[in-house]
Amino acid sequence: MKLKAIYRSAAVAATAMALSASLGGCHSIETWNNDFYGNFDALWTILDEHYCFFESKNIDWKATGERYRAAIDPEWDDKQFFNHCAAMLDELKDGHTNLISWFNVSYYRNWWSDYPQNFNLRLIQEHYLDFNYFSGGGMIYKLLEDRNVGYMYYASFSSSFGDSFLDEMLYSMRETDGLIIDVRDNGGGDMTNVERLVSRFLSEEICAGYISHKTGPGHKDFSEPFAYYYSPAENHVRWLKPVIVLTNRSTFSAANNFVSVMKNLPNVAIVGSVTGGGSGMPFSSELPCGWAVRFSGSPVYDADMHLTEHGVAPTPGGEIDMDTDLATKGIDTILEFAIEVLNRAAEDKEEPTRTLARHQ
Amino acid sequence: MKTLSKIAISAITALAALGATAQEPERPVLSAYTLEAGSAHLAETYLSPLKHSGWNIALGYERMQAMRFNPDRWVMQLQGRLSLQRAANPARNARMWDLALDLRWGMAHRWHLTDGLTIYAGGSTGVDVGAFYNPRNSNNPIAAKAAWTINALGAISWNGRFGRLPVCARYQAELPLTGIFFSPAYGELYYEIYLGNHKNLVRPAWPGNYFGLDNYLSLDLRFGRTTLRLGYRWDILSSKASHIVTRRVEHTAVVGVVCEWLSLGPKSKSTNDPRIINALY
Repeated sequence: MKLKAIYRSAAVAATAMALSASLGGCHSIETWNNDFYGNFDALWTILDEHYCFFESKNIDWKATGERYRAAIDPEWDDKQFFNHCAAMLDELKDGHTNLISWFNVSYYRNWWSDYPQNFNLRLIQEHYLDFNYFSGGGMIYKLLEDRNVGYMYYASFSSSFGDSFLDEMLYSMRETDGLIIDVRDNGGGDMTNVERLVSRFLSEEICAGYISHKTGPGHKDFSEPFAYYYSPAENHVRWLKPVIVLTNRSTFSAANNFVSVMKNLPNVAIVGSVTGGGSGMPFSSELPCGWAVRFSGSPVYDADMHLTEHGVAPTPGGEIDMDTDLATKGIDTILEFAIEVLNRAAEDKEEPTRTLARHQ
Repeated sequence: MKTLSKIAISAITALAALGATAQEPERPVLSAYTLEAGSAHLAETYLSPLKHSGWNIALGYERMQAMRFNPDRWVMQLQGRLSLQRAANPARNARMWDLALDLRWGMAHRWHLTDGLTIYAGGSTGVDVGAFYNPRNSNNPIAAKAAWTINALGAISWNGRFGRLPVCARYQAELPLTGIFFSPAYGELYYEIYLGNHKNLVRPAWPGNYFGLDNYLSLDLRFGRTTLRLGYRWDILSSKASHIVTRRVEHTAVVGVVCEWLSLGPKSKSTNDPRIINALY
């Protein structure tokens, strides 16, 4: 009798466990072989289902995939295969898209390499700051007393800055005609640093932009854009005097977002060249062979619901390239132009955008 | 007057006797403290489309007690489990971590069959919170998990002896039937949630989109006052929301100690022959 009872119990347990085994895999997960074709299919599928700019960039991803898949040579080594996959990703023309292996990281460079650099940090440090400036939190700044403007350079939004540091910097420049925020060559970083910096230039809450996300694997599966807002920094020094933001093509990603938000503020003008874009928030994934892939996954729009993936243009009248001949003599023509606009705007008691428009 | 006193004394004596017979039985609390270790199979398609495999460790606590209102027939069970999983991708060059805390409280009716065999059927409710973490992802390194579920609970136990050693073997299974669980949308970044978009983050759960089955096999070897617990757990969780599939399958060996204890406060009544109703043994 005892044995029968044990057998009965065991039978119940075995049945329940068999049920578990059969039902546990009810949500299927696509798998790929770990060979060239399997890894290629995985890469293509990940992008096909998650990349967010196929429609806005008018890319036929299916045809692209078929073309590149047909060209795979099974005799290739890993590096040749990597280069082939990277070439396919380059078709997206997206600085946020990388294929990452143990021997290389692919990177689409043409978004900035086809444009003048328009920036030389050494020139500014030597000829404008005299190698004597304040620094902290990824920023350097100095009051250019003979020109009566404040200058700050922020190299990367990945660097976090202290609130007290910003308080001190802005307060020290309070008597100037205006502030120049140089984000040339700023490749982006943390979006929360964008909010912290912008909040110093606000007098009221503003709509900073919109963000959307994919709701499914289809190329048109997107959520309703969600408006997000920035508020003025409380209990900290805020700057409501004129500001000019300097940009170049290497102003990218979070820095591109910073420019798009600042451009809509009343006392701010953008000077330099069109920014590099990169308005898709990156998403990461991986392939069976262990390589990782990063790509734009969530589109971010400016406050006017414009996609800034292709960059933010300067304020009308503010487009200017660096004169390379004068640069050799220690003159940054973009910075000179910004100083002149701020001085004139102060003299005429008007916003720098109006000054730019008048002298266009 | 004497008659009245006699009546009063008789009534008090009768009430006292009645009170003695109606005294509640003692319901010892069974507490089990366990350590688990084994294998883990993870998949979280928000972080990676690949299945990961690795190891798992967990700390467990279980408390059982016969219910006051019908101690022969009803028992309650409280379970807590903190588990950590670390799994590698197929190429073994990247890791995925999973930390989970599972708390459940349930009640079950029991039927004593013959030969020490008892079956239990009831329900439980609980929360399961934690996060999957993929360190090499940029803006999507974490997939947070949170669920509140109402579960069906069933168990079968056998109390007997191996030679002269009292033992208790039990198989228990729990299956979430309904509830709610957290999930972002397919490609929604946590940054967007941080910005304030909280739409559709809470999903209704049913076995079609939130399937879980916790199989627990335990063998309690009752050495005197201390009981050694050996066991095996096969815990499956598979959910799908917004095309995101999450899967956690654990196979773990269990070892622990079990003790039973009675709470005796200053107001506790005791008799020479208390009736003791155990929750499991």
